[in-house]
Amino acid sequence: MDVISNLGLGFSVALTIQNIAYCFIGTLLGTLIGVLPGIGPVTTVAMLLPISFTLPPESAMILLAGIYYGAQYGGSTTAILINIPGEASSVVTTIDGHAMARQGRAGPALGIAALGSFFAGCAATLLIALAAPPLATIALQFGPAEYFSLMVCGLIAAVVLARGSLLKAIAMVVLGLLLGLVGTDMNSGARRFNFGMTGLADGIEFVAISMAIYGIAEVVYNLEQKQVADVVAGALGRVWPSFADVKQCAGSILRGTCLGAVLGVLPGGGALLASFAAYTMEKKVASAPRQFGNGDIRGVAAPESANNAGAQTSFIPMLTLGIPGNPTMAMMIGALMIHGIAPGPRVMTDRPGLFWGLIASMWLGNLMLVVLNLPMVGIWVRLLRVPYRLLYPAIIVFCCIGAYTINNKAFDVFVMSFFAIFGYVALKLDCEPAPLILGFVLGPMMEENLRRALLISRGDPIVFLQEPISLAFLVLAAGLLVVLAVPAIRVRREEALKE
Amino acid sequence: MRIRAPKDFWSGVMFCGFAAIALFAARGYSFGSAGRMGPGYFPLLLASLLGALGVVLIGRSILIGGEPVARFRVLPLAVIATAICLFGVLIEPLGLIVSLAVLTLMSAWVGAQFRLTETVALAAALVLFCVAVFVYALGLPLNVWPSM
Repeated sequence: MDVISNLGLGFSVALTIQNIAYCFIGTLLGTLIGVLPGIGPVTTVAMLLPISFTLPPESAMILLAGIYYGAQYGGSTTAILINIPGEASSVVTTIDGHAMARQGRAGPALGIAALGSFFAGCAATLLIALAAPPLATIALQFGPAEYFSLMVCGLIAAVVLARGSLLKAIAMVVLGLLLGLVGTDMNSGARRFNFGMTGLADGIEFVAISMAIYGIAEVVYNLEQKQVADVVAGALGRVWPSFADVKQCAGSILRGTCLGAVLGVLPGGGALLASFAAYTMEKKVASAPRQFGNGDIRGVAAPESANNAGAQTSFIPMLTLGIPGNPTMAMMIGALMIHGIAPGPRVMTDRPGLFWGLIASMWLGNLMLVVLNLPMVGIWVRLLRVPYRLLYPAIIVFCCIGAYTINNKAFDVFVMSFFAIFGYVALKLDCEPAPLILGFVLGPMMEENLRRALLISRGDPIVFLQEPISLAFLVLAAGLLVVLAVPAIRVRREEALKE
Repeated sequence: MRIRAPKDFWSGVMFCGFAAIALFAARGYSFGSAGRMGPGYFPLLLASLLGALGVVLIGRSILIGGEPVARFRVLPLAVIATAICLFGVLIEPLGLIVSLAVLTLMSAWVGAQFRLTETVALAAALVLFCVAVFVYALGLPLNVWPSM
């Protein structure tokens, strides 16, 4: 049984005292910061990236993964208690979760969110352990043509699932790819787009651009929104859901987990799409659907399980193909690269300790979330009352220190300032930043694979259509675009994403 | 000619601007051929695509209606961007304490509910926290005090 011996190796890495500690710190920090209103997982991970620089790569990934699902869980807490989703994927949780909180049942809502997430996390972790090795084996056979088409397909899928205008999202991808090319060309050594600045010789620093967009630009944007926080913190109620609650939710959790696990693998949506789909499905299949929207516990259980399963399985394409499905995964790839590890199918064979250790730590992290969060909900509730005027200077401070300490260069701080302005303008113009970040990460890889594919075929682009796998990816990408161009579906997509 | 969708229009202008900069900067890079791509091949491809998308956005914004652009609030953005740059300028000569204090005070000042005493306390707390965590616990090479 390969899976068992692999997981054994994973646990032997994850269960060292040091890594347990990092997993604990990660989930704790993630929850702590994710719970603060207006800060989602992407911002949290971006802000805390610098902490991981000094660690060995295994510990760094374990820490970041812990931060990610800690923040994800923290986001649900704000959704339930103050009706402000910490991130898009807990938007649906606000519907029934906040209604429950107003009825004085905030405790069970938080409890079932944690239990559902725990179950979903365990199931998804197992799925990763089973699905990743065969996928990586397939991916190892991919030549440059397959890779290029896969990236095209992944980027298109990410764009399709982004909110707002399709054209703008594609343009953001292309701009991201271009920005990714800044710096020295790997192949010829030519300096590109450095505008005479030596600081750009190694390209635009990934940490600087992601913190600019998800940290600073978000802060500036939030400063002008008037958030009406409806804090329900008086009566939490018992945190542990009653047996009847659990029994009622068992089916919802199971369905949410399955749906989330499948949707999480797709590029683009991940946790976001999973939670929306799970809520919609639950409304259709559950008995007495009229209670949905008025504080039905199943309306919390299903999307929360789904978004956690989705968050977890979105690691699959990142780990096996080196392709990020969402901005958080892009940051994970950025972190791997900072540690000098090229993401892709080789990570599993070259660094099995890192790969399986990370997977084992996911399970551990989920356990910690339950243990950590249920007894400590009272503390998180108090954190919710921290006013934004005290929070945002702290975010800016951490981003600045982070940007500076990557290379100890003031230049990266200036880069961050520039992209903060760009990010604010983009937000104002309804241009989603996620496709830009994905494009930015994939830019150099895409160019390299395009170059190699065309070198082999002596410049004949037909190669992308001759290789069957490559053709399949391109057909899929084209299909997605065509489907979106059909007006009827476009309207339904807009409705689904608006809900 | 009337702009019916200002958000799309200005997005298009922005993308065209970036494309123009990229095309201009890449004018000297050797293009090569498809079989032997030079450093200019992929950038030029992308920049042309970006420019085309921008033009389509602009064209569409004249034909099809859309949302207006919400008012830009320039002051918070300008002050925060300046504060960040100032941090970059000050960190090396003046050290963490001074540069963080300036950064915190400037960025808090631009918010809606600025209170001086509270902000000073916040700045002090942040400086203490950052020095303890980043300099002592994580051992990052940062100047704490002004270097003479």
